[in-house]
Amino acid sequence: MTSSDKNRPDNRSDKPLEQRARELYHEACQRIDPVTAGRLRAARRQALGTAQAPGHHAARWLIPTGAFAAIALATLMVWQPVTHDAAAPSNQTVSMPDSSADADNELPPDADKSDPKLYQNLDFYGWLAANAQNSQSANR
Amino acid sequence: MNNMAGTLDADMLIEGRLSESARETPATLDAFLAQVERRAFRMAELQLRQREDAMDAVQDAMLRLVKHYRDKPATEWPPLFWGILRRRIVDLQRRRKVRSIVVGWLGGGHDGNDDELPAWDPADRGPGPLDQLQNRQSYADMAAAVRQLPQRQREAFMLRMLEGLDVAETADAMGCSKGSVKTHLSRAMHHLRDQLEDWR
Repeated sequence: MTSSDKNRPDNRSDKPLEQRARELYHEACQRIDPVTAGRLRAARRQALGTAQAPGHHAARWLIPTGAFAAIALATLMVWQPVTHDAAAPSNQTVSMPDSSADADNELPPDADKSDPKLYQNLDFYGWLAANAQNSQSANR
Repeated sequence: MNNMAGTLDADMLIEGRLSESARETPATLDAFLAQVERRAFRMAELQLRQREDAMDAVQDAMLRLVKHYRDKPATEWPPLFWGILRRRIVDLQRRRKVRSIVVGWLGGGHDGNDDELPAWDPADRGPGPLDQLQNRQSYADMAAAVRQLPQRQREAFMLRMLEGLDVAETADAMGCSKGSVKTHLSRAMHHLRDQLEDWR
């Protein structure tokens, strides 16, 4: 007795029943009408043709490519603010408050927003401004 | 060109070799599908009782097998294919049930004289499945007896006995354990023994 025979739940009395059922089933399969057989053949070719179509390979790469692009975009968006923050101190230069803003706004510039070096060397800038005015009046 | 030749070979494989090749697994997917397509159609037809639905189920099962599992080893194709077909048949049966309920709510199933209206399903005008069978009455008896079985018993009988899958393959196709397959099959055989007493 083979292993497949062991798995069968039947006893000997079921053998004719099995055999007869299988014979009828296979006979019915062979005697399928030509129209149905042709449609089955066409369905098979269509299924196989779908797999070989060039669009299939393109579609196969579409999802990974899209996922990679989305991840790259997300990484770029997360990374950019960090690089800006990190780059900000290195680009820090002595900058004067915007004169046009001063003209529009009578309040003194906000100490937090202004360059701290400006306040540290306030005497120097005062002297520089006075000298500039003196030299301009002397030239006239 | 090779593809065409392969298809012709696959078609030739069907003719006259159905019964012997039932348990052989061909090397190419084309040959495999050629081998099982008629049996799949008969199996679907037996369960769905509608040729068009059966054709849809087989076509869909073929497409899904090719699309998702064509790179699998050839030995895995039979349980995969029969499993896909089984699920597709169950889907169609459920859809038909829901459809009949909706039609029942809308009052479309019966006319005033309690006669069944043929309005919903198109008439199946193709040649009958049994017309060309020599022993049509026996097949009809068997088909009627098999249709009376509960769903799982019917699936177990068809896959295990008619299709000849082993217990493990049947369990894979049915999505259950080997023990469940044996139980369903045992009950199915018990029922069929009673129904087909004349055959013994």
